[in-house]
Amino acid sequence: MKISLFSIARKNIKRKFFRSVAIGLSVAIVAATLFVVTTIMGSVETSLKKGTARLGADIMVVPAEAEAEARTALLAGEPGTFYMAKSLVDAVRKVEGVRDVSSQIYLKTAQYKCCDVGDMLLIGFDPENDFTIIPWLTERLNRPLNHDEAIMGRGLTAFAIGNRMKFYGSEFEIVGMLEETGMKFIDNSVFFPYQAIQQMAEDSKKKNDVQTVELLEDHVSTVLVQVKPEITPERVAIFIEYNVPGVKAIVSEQVISSVRRQLFVLLRSILSITLILWVMALLLIGVVFSMIVNERQREIGLLRAMGAKKGNVFRLILTEASVISLGGGIAGLVCGGAFLYFFKSFIRSALKIPYLWPSTPDFILLILICLFLSFITGTGAALFPALRSMTMEPYEAIRRGE
Amino acid sequence: MIEVKELSKSYKVGSETVNAVDNVSLTIDKGEFVAIVGHSGSGKTTLLSLMGGLTKPVSGTVTIDGVNLWSISDNDLSVFRNRKMNFIYQFSSLIPTLNSLENVMLPTAFGKEITNASEYASELLELMGLKDKKFSYPSQLSGGQQRRVAIARAFINRPEIILADEPTGDLDEETEAEVMTLFHRMNSEQKITFICVTHSTDIAKQCRKTYRMSQGAIKEA
Repeated sequence: MKISLFSIARKNIKRKFFRSVAIGLSVAIVAATLFVVTTIMGSVETSLKKGTARLGADIMVVPAEAEAEARTALLAGEPGTFYMAKSLVDAVRKVEGVRDVSSQIYLKTAQYKCCDVGDMLLIGFDPENDFTIIPWLTERLNRPLNHDEAIMGRGLTAFAIGNRMKFYGSEFEIVGMLEETGMKFIDNSVFFPYQAIQQMAEDSKKKNDVQTVELLEDHVSTVLVQVKPEITPERVAIFIEYNVPGVKAIVSEQVISSVRRQLFVLLRSILSITLILWVMALLLIGVVFSMIVNERQREIGLLRAMGAKKGNVFRLILTEASVISLGGGIAGLVCGGAFLYFFKSFIRSALKIPYLWPSTPDFILLILICLFLSFITGTGAALFPALRSMTMEPYEAIRRGE
Repeated sequence: MIEVKELSKSYKVGSETVNAVDNVSLTIDKGEFVAIVGHSGSGKTTLLSLMGGLTKPVSGTVTIDGVNLWSISDNDLSVFRNRKMNFIYQFSSLIPTLNSLENVMLPTAFGKEITNASEYASELLELMGLKDKKFSYPSQLSGGQQRRVAIARAFINRPEIILADEPTGDLDEETEAEVMTLFHRMNSEQKITFICVTHSTDIAKQCRKTYRMSQGAIKEA
C-alpha cells in the first residue's frame, strides 16, 4: 500500500460528497449545454454542406410563388410539388454566367392506393444533364438506370438495396443508396430517370385499383444551375431572376447562411446563457475552494510540517478541483450525448433543420474541447485559493485552523 | 546537534507587540532527551515551531547539523523536515479522511522513501496498542487513541529529531507511562533527539535536561 497526493485528494473529494457533486454538477451543466449547442451547430453545418454538395448545384431555380415551399422541401425535407414550364430550362441555360443546367421533377407519394411509403418525394432527373445523381451513378454503379430501377436516400431505413418498392402501381428495384447527408430532401427521397417517372404516371392511368398521377406535360419542378468559376452564384441568381420572369433563383450558399443565421441567433442566446453559467460555475468553484482552503488551514499546516512542499499543497488543491471538474465534464458530455442521441428526431423537427452527426474526428475534437474547458473551469477557479494555500506559513496555518 | 542562537519571535496583537520568544539561545546535542516547561503563553510552542522551521523568527538562527534552517529555500526546508524530524502536537492532528494506517503513512507521501512503509506503519500502530484500529477513521477513535496514532506517525519517517508538544496530554497514566517508555527506548536505541514541551513535572523529571520558559525567555532548570 502506498499513499499519494492523488489518493489524499480522492479521499477529500469523498469527504464532502454532496459539495463535490454540487461543484461537479455546475461544470456538468456548462459542459452539457456547450456540447449540445456546438454539436447541433456542427451537425447543421455538416449536413448543409454535404447536402448541397450532393445536390451539386450552385443555384436552384423554382417558380417564384413556390420559393417558400422549395426552401421548406430543401431544408426540412417536407415534400413539395411545384411546377414550371420546361421551356424555362433553356431560358436559364442562356443566362450569362451559367455553366450547366439540369432539371428535376418532383412527385409526392400518397398512402392510399399508391405507394409503399407515403408522404415522400419522388425525384425524376434528366439523365442527359444531371449532376446530382449521375456523378454518383458513374462512380458506384457504372451503368445507367433501367426503367424499373431507382436510387434511394439513406433516410428510409426500412428498405435496402435489392428491395422492391411500389409507387403508383409500378414496382422499382432499389439498386443504390446515396450516402447520408442529414437533409431529408435527399435522404428521404427516391430518384428515377425522367422517362421512368413519366412511364409510371402513364401506367397509373391504366390500372384500376391505383391512384393516378397527373404529370403536366413539358413541366419541371426545378432547374439546378452550376455557374462558371469566374462569376459568383449570387450575381448569376440576379441575372436569372432578371432575364427569366416568374422564377426565383435560390443560391445554395445563401440557403446555408440563412439557416446558419436563423439558427445561430437562437444558439447564440443559448451560448450566452452557457457563458453566464460558466462564469457562475467559475465563481462558485472559486468560492467553494476558498472555503475549503480556510476549512483545511490546519491540515495544510500539518502537511507542510510533515514535509509537504508548497507545490505539493498547490497540486493537492488543484488535483481535487480538476478531478471534480473533469468528472463533471464527463458527466455533462454523457448527458449531452444521450440528449442528442435520444432527442435527435425532436431536435430535427423542432428546429426544422437538416441534422447530421458530425464526423468522428470532429466529434472527438469537440469532446476534447469540452473536457479541456471543464478542466480549465475547475483548475482556473481553484487557482487563486490554491495559490493562497501555498503562501501560508505552516505554524500560522496550524494555529489559525485550531 | 541543534543550535539555537539569539532567537526572537514576536506577534502583533492589536496594536501591541508580544515577544513570544525573546532572545533564546540553547544547544541540544544529538540523542538528548529535553523537556521545555513553563506556564501557558510562555512561548514553549512557538520555540518548538521555530526549532522545527515551521515559522520564521524575527531574528536569530536555528542550526541543525550545520544547516541554518532559514538560509535554505522553502522547498529544501520541507525536504529537510521530511528527512530529519517529525512533530507531535497537543491537539488532534489526524487527517479526518484517512484511516489510522494512512495517517501514519502520510509523511511518506512527501518524499522520504521508506521501505515497507505499510508494514512499518502497522508495526508502529501495534506498538501503540492499536492493532485492531488500523482501518478506523479518526472519528471512530477516542481522543487518546487519536493521540497514539499521531505518536505512531511521528516515527514513520525514522526521524532524528522529535519535537513533541504535550505528547501525552490526552492519555491515561498507564498509556502515558507506556509512551514515555517507548520514547526512551527510541532515544537510547535509535539515538532520536526528543524535545518535549510539557506541563507535566512527571514527564519533565523523566527527561535528562529541562529548560524553563517564562515570558519568552529560557533558562536551564
